[in-house]
Amino acid sequence: MLRLLPLDESREEILVGLETPDDAGIFLLDHKLGLVQTVDFFTPIVDDPFRFGQIASANALSDIYAMGGTPLTAMNIVCFPCTLGMDMLAKILQGGLEKIREAGATLLGGHTVDDEEPKYGLAVTGRVDPDKILKSLGAVPGDLLVLTKPLGTGILSTALKGDFIAEADMDAAVAGMAELNRDASRSALAAGARACTDVTGFGLAGHIMNMLPEHGLACRVYPERLPLYPRTREMADQGMLPAGAFKNRDFLTGSMAFGNKIETFYMDILFDPQTSGGLLIALAPDALDAFYKELGRSEQPEVIGEFFESSARLIEVVK
Amino acid sequence: MSKVVDARGLVCPQPVVRTREALGSADEIEVLVDNKTARENVSRFASNKGCAVRVEKESGFYRLIITGRAETGEQTREPGEETRNVIILSSELMGPDEELGRVLMRTFLNTMCESESFPWRLVLFNRGVLLALEGEDTAEALANLACLGVDVLVCGTCLDYFKVKECLAAGRVSNMYEIVETMLMATNSATI
Repeated sequence: MLRLLPLDESREEILVGLETPDDAGIFLLDHKLGLVQTVDFFTPIVDDPFRFGQIASANALSDIYAMGGTPLTAMNIVCFPCTLGMDMLAKILQGGLEKIREAGATLLGGHTVDDEEPKYGLAVTGRVDPDKILKSLGAVPGDLLVLTKPLGTGILSTALKGDFIAEADMDAAVAGMAELNRDASRSALAAGARACTDVTGFGLAGHIMNMLPEHGLACRVYPERLPLYPRTREMADQGMLPAGAFKNRDFLTGSMAFGNKIETFYMDILFDPQTSGGLLIALAPDALDAFYKELGRSEQPEVIGEFFESSARLIEVVK
Repeated sequence: MSKVVDARGLVCPQPVVRTREALGSADEIEVLVDNKTARENVSRFASNKGCAVRVEKESGFYRLIITGRAETGEQTREPGEETRNVIILSSELMGPDEELGRVLMRTFLNTMCESESFPWRLVLFNRGVLLALEGEDTAEALANLACLGVDVLVCGTCLDYFKVKECLAAGRVSNMYEIVETMLMATNSATI
């Protein structure tokens, strides 16, 4: 779509613009300070308004973290039908504000329009050290790939819509979606990560693909190591895949190489669109310990794959 | 007379929700869906419940015939060891004569649609990829086979070579890695 615009990207202050598949734009203010900017908003994926607010806010803030930045200010973006009542809107905004505060940022304002279906999200501005930007591209052969949150939010929210599960069955996924990627981002920076992005609508496979340049690099993924939210597999087997999973699959299938006897489920989960997913971090093998030490979780995120040299840009899925 | 669930115009997960309701009160049902997402999700749900699923392509929609508790499930990407038949189409013609070859290939694919059992995968490469392009009546037969559960692999390098990737109307774009895997996993294969 952006190709249709008469863009002028020649300004030298633009450190990260539209040409690369990165999560946010970066504009250089002076040689020590870069401005990171992003915007994201969407329709409710859980019924509880406060929790929806938390998730939408954490999701928008995530783009700043994926670039190695620190959020500074946020603006609410709201679409809301007046028939639903102001109480509900207040709860959504409270949930969002809680996450903005947790991120150490400040809410400066926002804008609301009347619309049939509620939508909420943020425009976020952050700061970044121009020498420590995390980009999608940068992994080299031999690097390990770490994923910091489980997968399955697209499948589970479809199952919730179909009443195949109750919202309480999604507690772990809701908590995961509402979790900030702040610590993962800081740890990636401290460990000298070579590349980073967050997992959202294009699914795991789509976002790994964004980490691969046109030539020379491929990624091998071990499906049995993929972290999953509870009940994801059961719901996928029950036919609870969102339409976006099939769109992602159709788009990426020519770049996927599935090994012998990979179960259908793993082909599904790789394409499941995620809301507020974790960070995908490319680390040199000897940087993994430093990353784990910085992060300090009791259950450390799994190495789900590794990059290797390849003439074809592809994702290999093997047992 | 089986119960018919018309799930056309509905988006997921509604077609699956309706299927679940209907299966609760009938042994054989037909579900009508008009998109690929619903077709795959309903098939997956029913197979998982131990039902047999047969997919028929109608004009503008799919008819999924679901029969309860059958021994065989839908033919999927992971069939049993003994059933991995692979058919390789390396040309748009069946045999050397061009005019006859074109007719034979069309008949071959149409007949396969009508047959009792289906191959696991069809692999199209070199000029074989031309069979799957928009406007070819063979593409329609290939799309039907795909609906019937046959995995139709189309060589991406070949599509690029002929500069026709945009025109692909049936099957899915594949790569040499998967084609090699397919041939190594095949229990039987035939090259046309």
